[in-house]
Amino acid sequence: MSIIPEVRHLLRALFARPALERELDDELRFHLEQEAAKHVAAGASPMEAERRARASFGGVQRIKDDTRDARGIALIEQLSQDVRYAARGIRARPGFAAAVILTLGLGIGANATMFNVVDRLMFRPGPFLRDAGSVNRVYLSHLEEGKPRTDRNTEYTRFLDLARDTRSFSALVPIGHPTLAVGTGESAREMNVDAVGDHFFELFDAAPAVGRFFLPDEHTRPRGAPVAVLSWDLWQSRFEGRRDVLGTSLQVGLVNATVVGVAPRGFTGLGDVDQRPALYLPITTYAGSRVTKDPSAYYTNYNWGWLELIARRKPGVTVDAANADLSSAYRRSWEAERALSGGIPPADSARPMALAGPLQVARGPQAGRDASVVLWISGVSLIVLLIACANVANLFFARGLGQRREVAVRLALGVSKGRLLRQLLTDSVLLSLLGGVAGLFMAHWGGRIIQSIFLRGEVTLGVLGDTRTLVFGGAAAIACGVLTGLLPAVRAGRTELVTQLKSGARAGRERSRARTALLVAQGALSVVLLVGAGLFVRSLYNVRTTRLGYDVDPVLYVSGNLRGVRQSPAELIVLAHRLAEEALSVPGVVSAARGLTVPFRDTWSQPLFLPGRGSMRKLGSFTLQGASPEFFRTMGTTILRGRGFTDADRAGAPLVAVVTEKMASALWPGVNAIGQCMRLDVDTMPCTTVVGIAEDMHQRSMVDDPGLHYYLPIDQFHPEDGALFVRTNGDASAMAGTVRKRLQALMPGASYVNVTPMREIVGETQRAWDFGARMFLAFGLLALVLAAIGMYSVIAYDVAQRTQEMGVRMALGAQPSDLMRLVLGDGMRLTATGLVMGGALALLATRGMTPMLFNVSPRDPAVFGVVAAVLCVVSVVACLIPAVRSARANPSEALRGDS
Amino acid sequence: MTDERLDLPQGTLDLLILKALSLGPQHGWAISERLHQVSRATLAVPQGSLYPALHRLERRGWIAAEWGTSDNNRRAKYYELTRAGQKQLRAESEDWRRLTAAVALVLDMA
Repeated sequence: MSIIPEVRHLLRALFARPALERELDDELRFHLEQEAAKHVAAGASPMEAERRARASFGGVQRIKDDTRDARGIALIEQLSQDVRYAARGIRARPGFAAAVILTLGLGIGANATMFNVVDRLMFRPGPFLRDAGSVNRVYLSHLEEGKPRTDRNTEYTRFLDLARDTRSFSALVPIGHPTLAVGTGESAREMNVDAVGDHFFELFDAAPAVGRFFLPDEHTRPRGAPVAVLSWDLWQSRFEGRRDVLGTSLQVGLVNATVVGVAPRGFTGLGDVDQRPALYLPITTYAGSRVTKDPSAYYTNYNWGWLELIARRKPGVTVDAANADLSSAYRRSWEAERALSGGIPPADSARPMALAGPLQVARGPQAGRDASVVLWISGVSLIVLLIACANVANLFFARGLGQRREVAVRLALGVSKGRLLRQLLTDSVLLSLLGGVAGLFMAHWGGRIIQSIFLRGEVTLGVLGDTRTLVFGGAAAIACGVLTGLLPAVRAGRTELVTQLKSGARAGRERSRARTALLVAQGALSVVLLVGAGLFVRSLYNVRTTRLGYDVDPVLYVSGNLRGVRQSPAELIVLAHRLAEEALSVPGVVSAARGLTVPFRDTWSQPLFLPGRGSMRKLGSFTLQGASPEFFRTMGTTILRGRGFTDADRAGAPLVAVVTEKMASALWPGVNAIGQCMRLDVDTMPCTTVVGIAEDMHQRSMVDDPGLHYYLPIDQFHPEDGALFVRTNGDASAMAGTVRKRLQALMPGASYVNVTPMREIVGETQRAWDFGARMFLAFGLLALVLAAIGMYSVIAYDVAQRTQEMGVRMALGAQPSDLMRLVLGDGMRLTATGLVMGGALALLATRGMTPMLFNVSPRDPAVFGVVAAVLCVVSVVACLIPAVRSARANPSEALRGDS
Repeated sequence: MTDERLDLPQGTLDLLILKALSLGPQHGWAISERLHQVSRATLAVPQGSLYPALHRLERRGWIAAEWGTSDNNRRAKYYELTRAGQKQLRAESEDWRRLTAAVALVLDMA
């Protein structure tokens, strides 16, 4: 049978009911009149004819009903009846409805929020991106010391090689993400800039809000045209959205750019969550503006890997084919690089490979810890929803027990069980949909905080403006409605008619096994979440308290950016000293010191030789810091033995070094390191004498062990380079603005300073634990509250059902304390079962968390112990109220009636 | 009075309606009259039960309905066999023949 007439018929049946009814009347009346006319023609009287016609026709009303059913709208009519019935139920029991809606709302809200985050992070293509399925991010990998090393940053020269040697792509676009100072003087601020290659804007279906995008001849080498396209946000904030912004000049880094266009509202380039560009430059404009001796270096050598490649595959080209094409081009490019510079292994041993990977970094081979934490937390939110569902299912069970007589009456009146089931399900789905609406509102308002954590302050529309999240929320609500309603509804359908209709039948004293199982499952799941939360909190604590080898909170990092202002090395040294002095004059600043590198952002290293022992490369890589005499005091780094640097360790004086304890014991095990000689850079250099041993420090990563690290007096090493570290006597973040203002005044020309609290730099590396702990804790507590409410409602309901039993016990001499013990014992047995099962589950689940933890075993006994204690306390509280109520049972009242 | 008429087996009414309409468009009363006459009044088709069946067949797209004018110049709803209906009629007639033949075979064996 074909579906089209069926659907047309159904639509007509639904929306043209009055007309259809009239037609049916007409049709049947015509039949009866024809039949009567036949009888009249045969000689019957009109009255007799009509009687006979009706008799042979059958019951008109029933025929009409049957015909209506045959139209196939019975189901829909019943549905609307059921919805009305359910709505009446909600109005009749607002408390019950509110509990269900709130519980499911919390669960669905949490999930809608996490769905939104995961969707944006991993699945949703950036806004405006055309045919996202054919767009890839290019990853390059090769073997390094036998281990594969994958990177998405590469060189402009490499881009030219790959663009020339591949055939699979309709566009290969290089994109750099420099942070550049935008504006001049006091209004200069560092901003994210996208330096984009030709065809970048053609990846999108976006038209400029004002002006135009870049032209092909603006991407010339070595230096492209000085033009810029603004983001909508920058246009609004800096230029108040004026249309005459076109033609304005704007200093961007070293480029004095002319504004030629504005990107449309909501356009964020590739849509990467941590890179919302403030404006766009042609990539060669940016690359060519950098001050180098050879302006063609960036597109002829392979020294500067700074850009990403985005590729659009030609129609019909599979990812595999693109990978093969890219890999062979990369191999050729690898050999070209090898021919140009030494020290590069041949392609046969390095095995260069290229991969047209997913556009979303979080799904690619370089996904960070953030992405896996987000996925874990999504799993957690799903568990919260399961707990919420269990809670609601329990509420429906309880209500179902109370309604057994009503159900029995309806069954006795001939309502079919299928119909009853449908009606109960309609009820739960309706409530669940209302919960979904509530949840989406909660996600909209409360979820913004969560989004801003994960999506790094991205301004979002909130979930209510997001169709994908709304659809998700709706689907989740329907699923919850079916999930929570099905079991209780099936149970209700099994009602024993006779038992229930007998007056005075008591609700079964035994709590059903299903309800007990739900309670235990809730408890077990909250144990899992709380254990996860505990592990994350411990990790965060360990991360926070790990001694890095320097202080974090009181220190500011000040970096200068000359921005093309020419300064001789001598002038730079003077400037550095003046900046340090000026910083010291700011009230609250304790000390200031110059340093060459900053932990977690950059490293410096050079070959190291020991007399008679040759290169020390075999021991690992050594990072070094150039430090002024005040450095150790400023950073709070302890000198364990020997001395730090003094003003006497100036250029020309004997070369000295301070090494970390770990480096000392690595180079000179069992021997006093002080006084030892190191030769740096080449093994013919004069001795650098170790004069002190400092505590170990983390330069590159806080997860790994502290590295091999040493300090050289900055004046003996690179006196004109480096940045300033400022120690304050309080919270450094609060003073960043003041320090910046004071130091900026000393900067020549368009140059400027950046002041960053060390906490911010370190915090960036701790983010994953930070939000992991917060979210796990938030969801874990939510789960605990839901489980406690579930426990309370079930125990309270039981106590209410057992009033008579309690009365009998009292009458037989039981003390109130006996009754309380009875109720509490019941609750505790459930809790203990939940704890044991949850603990076992948690042991299984947390094993997968190991890579995300920091110095905590996934079986940490303290965490498990605390969780057990918390759960016990919470369930005692949840049982206490019903227990007290049971102890107040009045024997005579309880025994009297059918209460 | 003893009723000699046969009740219709389940589902055969549809087949009879399709067959009746295979000769051309008809309104409900005419169909009922036709069934009555052709079966020589053997088949007991309560006239009213025709209508749920007609509407069901219409929903399935086997027949189509249109309002027209009857012989005595009255507005009447005419049903007509659709292409899908013709196919259905052929299939169902064939099934019916095979079924009755098989049943007859079994009965005759005794």
